[in-house]
Amino acid sequence: MFQNFRLSMAWLHTWFGLVLGFVLMAVFFFGALSVFDREIDRWAIPESRFEPQPMPSFDKMLRPIFEAMKPTKADIEDASAYIKAPMPERFDTVNYWGAYTTHRDPVLGIYAGYAVPAAKDPDDAVWTDSTIDPRTGAALPDDQLKIGSRFFYPLHYSLNFHWMDLGYWIVGISSLVMLAALVSGVVMHRKIFREMFTFRPQKTTQRSSLDLHNLTGVVALPFHFFFAFTGLVIFAGLYFPVSHTQMMPLHEQHEQSEAQETGLPHERAGVAAPLGSVDAMVAEAQRRWAARGMAGEVGALGLRFPGDANGYVSIYRSGTDRIALTGEGIHFKASTGEVLREEPPSTTVESVNEFLTGLHLQHFRHWMLRWLYVLGGLAGCVCIATGFIFFVEKRKRQYAKQNSQMGRVADALAITTVTGMLLSTLGILIANRLIPVSVPEGWPGRGDLEKYAFWGTWVLAMLHAFVRSGPVARAQLNPAWREQCFALAFLAPVTVLLNWMTTGDHLVKTLGQGYWPVAGVDLSILVLGTLALVAGLHLRRKERGLDSVPAHLETEVTSG
Amino acid sequence: MATASSVSTRHVVSRIAAALLGGYVFTWGFIALSLAGLYGLGMRFHDAEALANIIGFLLYLVVFLWAFGAGRLNRVWLVLVGGGLLMAGTGALIQSLLV
Amino acid sequence: MANLLLAVAAITCICGLAWLALAMDVHWKQIRKDNPSATTVRTLRWLGSLSLFTSLVLCLIVDHASMASLVWVMLLAGSALTVAFTFTWRPRLFAFLIVWSRVAG
Repeated sequence: MFQNFRLSMAWLHTWFGLVLGFVLMAVFFFGALSVFDREIDRWAIPESRFEPQPMPSFDKMLRPIFEAMKPTKADIEDASAYIKAPMPERFDTVNYWGAYTTHRDPVLGIYAGYAVPAAKDPDDAVWTDSTIDPRTGAALPDDQLKIGSRFFYPLHYSLNFHWMDLGYWIVGISSLVMLAALVSGVVMHRKIFREMFTFRPQKTTQRSSLDLHNLTGVVALPFHFFFAFTGLVIFAGLYFPVSHTQMMPLHEQHEQSEAQETGLPHERAGVAAPLGSVDAMVAEAQRRWAARGMAGEVGALGLRFPGDANGYVSIYRSGTDRIALTGEGIHFKASTGEVLREEPPSTTVESVNEFLTGLHLQHFRHWMLRWLYVLGGLAGCVCIATGFIFFVEKRKRQYAKQNSQMGRVADALAITTVTGMLLSTLGILIANRLIPVSVPEGWPGRGDLEKYAFWGTWVLAMLHAFVRSGPVARAQLNPAWREQCFALAFLAPVTVLLNWMTTGDHLVKTLGQGYWPVAGVDLSILVLGTLALVAGLHLRRKERGLDSVPAHLETEVTSG
Repeated sequence: MATASSVSTRHVVSRIAAALLGGYVFTWGFIALSLAGLYGLGMRFHDAEALANIIGFLLYLVVFLWAFGAGRLNRVWLVLVGGGLLMAGTGALIQSLLV
Repeated sequence: MANLLLAVAAITCICGLAWLALAMDVHWKQIRKDNPSATTVRTLRWLGSLSLFTSLVLCLIVDHASMASLVWVMLLAGSALTVAFTFTWRPRLFAFLIVWSRVAG
């Protein structure tokens, strides 16, 4: 198909980069926001704007809450989608109680799984979850959407498109293509070392966008590569479910020998037994971790088959001080508190895997590294966006001569995924501040309304970009770029103002108190608005011909 | 700009399919073979699985790029699908010996 | 204390990359009119490498090895962007880094 390897890589980079770039913009941007997903949750749920708390006492606070929990109608419906068996009248048999916290969470996430006796697979369960204030035990209302951790975060790995898991597959293919784009980009970039620090905004759009594309691609190359790669490794079980299909017999054989080795019961005994003191077990776990030189807080606690003689309690350490997602799990017999198993140190392969997944999932406590991650993610977005701009600039004259709509469509889609995506982000935050706490009867829940605001804003931005795209067919600039930049510049301070008006938290107050989650989100929104304003003004000057390089001086720039 | 020498749409589609689908079959075969093979050699199950996955994705990247860089498309299809099936088959054989 | 060390790590990283950039004619010429001599280029590369190494050591003092290596790699990315944008808009800010090299007659 091609005369040489470099040309084949250039073709691959251009066309796959263009098509999958639209998906990758969302993955990188919402991935960057996900670094501070829990802080965005604080902004979106003002009732949770207090300091992170340690795991509260199980015996005194969590146990009564767990005992009172039961699945909602929605939970039962969700489970019925894949459990093809009749649901019991009452959910009295608990398979699992779990609680999970991080060093960034003021509120505690708890969840429970209830047995479905008629189900074929004994592991199938109906799951329910709740968020509680660990200082008082009070539950947060169900329909408060955690915009960071339950919307932006899943968006970046699944596009929130769950039908047939298609969203996961689209992101998976895009990630593979990202890796291919990075390698092919290096193959194409002849002056990679000489141009390492080169950015010439005063030159033509085509040259300066290519400079910025190369710069942001190369300086964060290890970051871009590792994030795409580790993202794939994290979901390997979904993309290559070998051990649950072709190698299922081998997997079963292993599970059986492992159950014998670990001594952790695979099934319930069917005999009732009281639950011992979990607080005492936590204290013992902390004592053992300290004895190994790894003193720490509880990150997660799980109770399997509580109330049954085979029940056991698993306590995991919060891994804030290292990259690897370790748990140092210790398992206790639920009725007596006797230690059943202390997980041994990781094998070499386990350590490598934990490092790779931990690098991506970021449970560590290191604010500078988190901000550097955000920088990396945004650099990735700039790389993709400048890729689009370069593509259109390089070809729009040629498309205009051929009367092709390609340039116009590619450019409108670029606007949609750059400024349009930013507008939809502000859109959901604005909706979050405007929608009343109690939504009228019969209306969709608050969380759903916020999601409609997000997608609706994005669709509007796309329509606007297409409607205004006429000039691109004449090899000129689409005014929607400037218009959406100005819209962002206007809506950003509006968003911050709405936070002040509806919660009383303004920057002077949050900065004064040092309440960084909310101050950080407000400041980031204002930075976005400022950059959008600068960009809009620059585009307006350009459109008025004040900054442009005369057409006859613009020279063809080849890639690489 | 990189233009393909005049080729049919069918060829382009076939090449993309070879890279994506052929690459997938090849990678699946590799993971199946590595998982069974390493476990058979005494590695812990989840270690074998993790290692197979990690190297598998890197391999997928390599064959994906190769599918575009290589000359004859028929050879690409043969190597990727044929190789993948051969590896998957060998993995199945190893499994039958172990279980 | 950790924050101070990390701040110094960031600064040494930026200076390190700036020195390496100045070893390239195109960036040297953004500050001086002449071309750098072969000795100057060698010195700049040594200064740059040493500075980057110092940055790594500082990162390792603050954090566990696995964390420190990630911090340093990410610092390189952030610093490279800083250096590139400085050369784009305010190249003279780096003049102090080559103050020691004699201006050719």
